[in-house]
Amino acid sequence: MSDKQSTRTPEKHKINYAFREKLNAVAEGYRHNFCYQCGACVADCPTGNHSETFNPRLIMLMAILGFEEELISPDSEIWNCTNCYTCSERCPQDVRPVDVIIALKNICYDEGKAPELIGKVSDTVLTDGITTKITSLAERRRAELGLAPIKQYPVEDIQKIIRGK
Amino acid sequence: MMDVGRHPKVELFTNSEVENVTGFVGNFNVTIRKKARYVDANECTACAECAKVCPVAVPDEYQQGFSSRKAIYMPFPQAVPSAYILNMDNCLGNNPIACGKCADVCEKHCINYDDQDELVNIEVGVVITATGMDVYDPTEYDEYGYTRFDNVITSMEFERLICAGGPTEGHFIRPSDRKIPQKIGFIQCVGSRSQDGRGNPYCSNICCMNTVKDTLLLCDHYPGVEAKVFYMDMRAFGKGFEDLYMRSKEEGVKYVRGIPGDVVEDPETRNLLLTVENTTTGKLEKHELEMLVLSQGVIPRQDGDSIRKLLTLSQTSDGFIMESHPKLKPVDAPTKGIFIAGCVESPKDVKDSVTQASAAAARASILLNAGKTKIEAITSQVDTELCNFCGICAKVCPYNAISASDRKAEKPPTIIAAACAGCGACAAECPQDAILMRHFRDEQIMAQVEALVKDDPEKHLLTFACNWCSYAGGDNAGTARLQYPTSSRLIRTMCSGRVDEKFVMHAFKMGAPMVLVSGCHFADCHYINAVHWTQKRMDRLWNKLDKLGIRVDRLQLEWISAAEGQKFAKVMRELEERVQTVTDEEIEHTKKVLAEEEAKAEAKKKKKAKAGAEVSA
Repeated sequence: MSDKQSTRTPEKHKINYAFREKLNAVAEGYRHNFCYQCGACVADCPTGNHSETFNPRLIMLMAILGFEEELISPDSEIWNCTNCYTCSERCPQDVRPVDVIIALKNICYDEGKAPELIGKVSDTVLTDGITTKITSLAERRRAELGLAPIKQYPVEDIQKIIRGK
Repeated sequence: MMDVGRHPKVELFTNSEVENVTGFVGNFNVTIRKKARYVDANECTACAECAKVCPVAVPDEYQQGFSSRKAIYMPFPQAVPSAYILNMDNCLGNNPIACGKCADVCEKHCINYDDQDELVNIEVGVVITATGMDVYDPTEYDEYGYTRFDNVITSMEFERLICAGGPTEGHFIRPSDRKIPQKIGFIQCVGSRSQDGRGNPYCSNICCMNTVKDTLLLCDHYPGVEAKVFYMDMRAFGKGFEDLYMRSKEEGVKYVRGIPGDVVEDPETRNLLLTVENTTTGKLEKHELEMLVLSQGVIPRQDGDSIRKLLTLSQTSDGFIMESHPKLKPVDAPTKGIFIAGCVESPKDVKDSVTQASAAAARASILLNAGKTKIEAITSQVDTELCNFCGICAKVCPYNAISASDRKAEKPPTIIAAACAGCGACAAECPQDAILMRHFRDEQIMAQVEALVKDDPEKHLLTFACNWCSYAGGDNAGTARLQYPTSSRLIRTMCSGRVDEKFVMHAFKMGAPMVLVSGCHFADCHYINAVHWTQKRMDRLWNKLDKLGIRVDRLQLEWISAAEGQKFAKVMRELEERVQTVTDEEIEHTKKVLAEEEAKAEAKKKKKAKAGAEVSA
């Protein structure tokens, strides 16, 4: 375990079974239970290669031990995952770490512990149908370069799909 | 191998294949195809003159393709018999005009291009299957670059390179520039312990210690060499294994706990770069290696299906052969007189293979020395009067104990009592009820059904339980003093495959609210695969009940093993609740429908008999 974890106080090491059950209940959240900590997910992780602190294997370990405070917060390492699915391809145990991380992110959002930006992005998708707002600057630049204006997204259809009605 | 070849009491067939096996314990008749060798093995002195003149060069399979061999060759130096062999697929043609050089130089005149396969029939008392295994092909693990980089090799290739009899005469050189590498890496578990569809889910057992041995060989041959092993778990479980592992560590071999990611090749030096998380420190490490060895796992023989079918062996989900009992009969096959040894059963090292082979030989000699064997009297018998020669029984028998009948010649099937294990699947499937299962005859079981359902039928759950698993599961529940309702009434059969359709129908006709058929789990079936016939028959019965308008869930099927007393009790509790839901009207309706059905069938039979009588008149 990294230095960060080894300095934990003993009472914090207690396994949080309640959190594990909560995670098991979320779609694909149970998969971390199969992890045998071989580290195959880490070597090719693009974030892990550039960040000292991001480590999918440790996230799986924390999920196994039920480290709720570390995982479920806006500052959690899970938000650095780029969902590239390389770890899922490498994992010999079919844990699919990305799916577990997505499950963790869903718990964060449901509990209002996701970074503010995440809420904004999903709001933009709801109102505009895309993740990034089309600004007047972008429109002007495109016109200057002789590019066609950006196509209008079928916002109402997207909203229908998201709301399910 | 040499000793076996020389032994006066051992007849060795090399380059041969088993074509057919018939008979039973003590009296097997084995047909062996001795493939054409094109060289008279008795005359050949292995002088190698033929190979010198042979113009064909093909990759040498024994040397893992690192060197070449001729079309006429000796498979490996210690091959038994010590004689050359001609591979006709490689030979320029058995037309002497095309080549024929080898026959010209052979002083003993032992090369015969017209050699033919020969079929040999032998009588044997017992058969030991030791057909071995294959190795896993690591090309699936594309991130390690086995197909792309010359300096990535497998552990089998390592073995040839470091062997004094190998293509390099024991000089461990890397394929790209033939230099002796100083930094060598090993990746463990390639194709083993993998659930993601690549490779195999099981641990291949031998690779950890093989790698430890390989690192020690390297340290021994080239002192100062830098060897690194990337692993997820080192499994040094056997006698002396931990010592060897420790010795390897003392020699300076680095063991890094972590599975590497993409391997990249430096185009200039042809060195290999890999990134790995050392999970003991949590730090990402980059390693530059001159050579990389993939510790490949082992897999079952890819061409093992034919022998498996001939000897009625069953296999586990991994594809290895299943033993008769994992603890008490580890070298016995389900069929009497057939034994298994070595890697055909599971991946294992030399010591374990020898142990198992010795056990199999000892088990076999018990039978051979006694010269006779006792069998259970529970065997089946054909009533030739009733048989209509349909041949279903021969198809059902898991032991090939029933020889096929002949409809045209009106020849009924014959049952080899010594090969019959007594599951009774044939008796249950026979549409004519022409098979009598000793000790579990139709009349006996019908009488049990009647006796158990006679009083207060609506309150009882009639259960058919197989002798080995479900009945023992009931015993287990009893000895564990688990509570379950007293309403169940058990009928024991040897196998759930014995439960005839008519037993179930008769129980319903007598007013049973529910019937449960229970047997072993599919992988545990004590009669190879007789339980598959239970499943098929139940599917058929459910369809029938549905058509007759009887609630399908009144017939239940459960797999309960001998250890699952808890499950037995649970099933009994659940079904007791369900018995309560069956109303009297339902039972009456069933009785009526089945009585009508029976009357209809009776009428049809009479009509048929009448028509038959008219025709014969």
